[in-house]
Amino acid sequence: MSTVTSIAALLLFPSGLFLLLSGLAYEWADRKLLAQFQNRVGPRWFQPLADVVKLLAKEEVAPDGVNGRLFVALPIIALAGALTAALYVPLFGLAPAFSFPGDLIVTLYLLSMLTLCMGIAGANTLDRFSLVGATRALTQLFSYEAPFLLALLGPALVAESWQISEIAAYANGRYLLLTQPIGFLVAIIGLMGKLELPPFDAPEAETEIVAGALTEYSGRGLALFRLGKGVEMVVGLTLVAAFYLGGVANPFAFLLKTLVLLLVMVVMQALMTRLRIDQTVGMWWRYGALLVLAQWLITILFHAISQVHLMG
Amino acid sequence: MKTTEEILTLAREIAGAWDWTTEVTQPEPNRLDVLLRNPADLVAIVTALRVKRLGYLAAITGLDLGAGELEALYHFCAGEVVITLRVRLNGRETAVASLSELIPSAEPFERELREMYGVNIIGLPSPDYLYLPDDWPAGVYPMRQDFDPQVLSRKT
Amino acid sequence: MQTDTQRERFTIPIGPQHPALKEPGHFRFSVDGEIVTGATVRLGYAHRGLEKLAEKQNWVQNIYLFERVCGICSHTHATAYCLGVERLAGVIAPPRAQAIRTLVCELERIHSHLLWLGVSAHEAGFDTLFMYSWRDRETVMDLLEALTGNRVNYSVNVLGGVKVDVTEEIAQAIYKGLDFLEERTHHYLQVVSSDASFLQRARGVGVMTRQQAEVMGVVGPTARASGVTRDIRIEAPYAAYADFPPQVIVDERGDLEARFVVRLKELLESYRLVREILARLPEGELTVRMPRRIKSGETVSRVEAPRGELFYFLKSNGTDTPVRVHARTPTICNMTSVVRLAVGHQLADVPLILAGIDPCFSCNDR
Repeated sequence: MSTVTSIAALLLFPSGLFLLLSGLAYEWADRKLLAQFQNRVGPRWFQPLADVVKLLAKEEVAPDGVNGRLFVALPIIALAGALTAALYVPLFGLAPAFSFPGDLIVTLYLLSMLTLCMGIAGANTLDRFSLVGATRALTQLFSYEAPFLLALLGPALVAESWQISEIAAYANGRYLLLTQPIGFLVAIIGLMGKLELPPFDAPEAETEIVAGALTEYSGRGLALFRLGKGVEMVVGLTLVAAFYLGGVANPFAFLLKTLVLLLVMVVMQALMTRLRIDQTVGMWWRYGALLVLAQWLITILFHAISQVHLMG
Repeated sequence: MKTTEEILTLAREIAGAWDWTTEVTQPEPNRLDVLLRNPADLVAIVTALRVKRLGYLAAITGLDLGAGELEALYHFCAGEVVITLRVRLNGRETAVASLSELIPSAEPFERELREMYGVNIIGLPSPDYLYLPDDWPAGVYPMRQDFDPQVLSRKT
Repeated sequence: MQTDTQRERFTIPIGPQHPALKEPGHFRFSVDGEIVTGATVRLGYAHRGLEKLAEKQNWVQNIYLFERVCGICSHTHATAYCLGVERLAGVIAPPRAQAIRTLVCELERIHSHLLWLGVSAHEAGFDTLFMYSWRDRETVMDLLEALTGNRVNYSVNVLGGVKVDVTEEIAQAIYKGLDFLEERTHHYLQVVSSDASFLQRARGVGVMTRQQAEVMGVVGPTARASGVTRDIRIEAPYAAYADFPPQVIVDERGDLEARFVVRLKELLESYRLVREILARLPEGELTVRMPRRIKSGETVSRVEAPRGELFYFLKSNGTDTPVRVHARTPTICNMTSVVRLAVGHQLADVPLILAGIDPCFSCNDR
């Protein structure tokens, strides 16, 4: 790959600018669909973009008592983490821009950067809502992270690779959703937890702690965090669709499958009441982690048996 | 459930036990008005009402009769009956015992009475204002007749 | 004595401006992690000095003043005030006027309870229920508008009667609207008592036993959800409630779920009452003549507002202005319970416990 195309891939398409815009588009789709389920009109198509543009143009107020550099750096690191993660993912049905063995693990950790940054951002301020929000965000991170990781490692196990492009190639045309239903369920619910969508929005429950960890953020910082979340939504949806829904070999399949996943997530958002943070943790460790482990054991067992058969 | 007649008779009996300090009238068929000549009897009468399980404290009304005379009206409701214990407080120095030990729900009513009328309620747990802002001038009671809103605009 | 090991208290202020509060109030919750260990409340942010102002205005002007104590239960306030003034003057409003007052009281209760359902669902983080219940609330708002000309502050009462009449056309519209609402209410009742994700936020949370309820002096549906059978409409019937008695709805459980169930069942009872009033609306005049000066005396007027017992004390000295109008609203009785119940609960449960009493800060502050 030449330097020019590499830079273009990083800054414009498929990562970079195009990804930011599609993050906003998915955010709009999420809000609009949710509104339809709640018998509302919902936002206009450019609303997320307009919000971000407006926020970017606004003054960023750094409150007293924060570490100024950290306050400015955290949103940038968060967005950078999400954008980097996107480089290893078959976005829009195209091959990943970069790929190396074991990039799945790196990608998953890069995806956690956003939550981590939000947690630190909340803890960085003196605001009580932020502090409680930060505690909740990190608590929630520790509860869904392991099950979510295990759920995405399920397909890796059967594909016998830790490289996203190889797993995606293996999963192409194979609906692992059918053979690993629990893994799929945990993956999609884990993604909702990651994105702090209802009912896992305890870290930013507005009726309790205003805007949670990001209460003190305004202007550019808030805009970057929101962009990061949009990117993470696209990347997460791509991963789950590529692994479980028979792959995203072309842009059309990508669009169709990620939107179906989004629809499933919206239905769950509309149907459920917000969980308390202790209920979220309890749910993940009591059911999520155990179920996905059971799924793992079954997968390993079947895999071993089929290997024996092949050899025999 | 007691009938209206029974409640009224019982309340009369209780108030009658403090013969020398109370004056009982019945302004309306369902209302009994008990004037306490000695405010110190309030807690004892309320205790007696509680022992007989006669009604619940519905409200405490403050009244400024003018000439520095205040009244505190303790309304107890039972069914359709309203028993009003009327405590008359004279002079600028006014004090009445708090009922909040006996009836926890009396606390917000008493705090309102203290803030709005300047009745000194003895034994209220919290000294803070409930309704008035923190920078409200001391000794100014908005519901008294001599209240002059001008004092608020004068910055001290 | 202060010790070094004494833990610094971490307090979370809620209000005066906070997304959980639709009106200003100020709570301070001290928390240990997510558990609330103490709570205090400050009120008065919506204090408008209405009781003081009432002493400067005449009896008629005060109707409009007290109607504006609260935006949601305005008719209840005006009814309590008018009934009290009429009693002082020795005048009784005609039966048709009393029935129409009762009718609007019940329609207002429907609107208030539906509003509460939405707010509480939102506090619990169940926005879908919030959106749907508020959509349905529009039905009763439209009916009230058709009947009185206003969506809130209906201004139905005058001293000595009412100023709106129920025509056959409006009655039919109300019947139709109620049929729709009844069906929806049954659905909501099923949702709040069977939806698993909702129940894990409401069942067994914020439990107030009957004894606690009596000690804390809570009123209205909050008390009835704890098994206290007290309803002014039945205990001391006013307006036309003697002719159209409601059933008292009680639940013994005392938790948040019970408060949802009680209010929803009260909705069903209100639908029945409204239909009954419309079916047997007495004929006759709407008003009687009222004197401009009211005989001197004191009286007490109690009505059952959507949030509980509303208590008015009126004193006249024989002129055209009152000496004292004291309104004790239900929220002040219930507010103590929030502060006490919150202790020991998770911070996440606090907004729902607060919403559980259906607080109205502007009623409370006057």
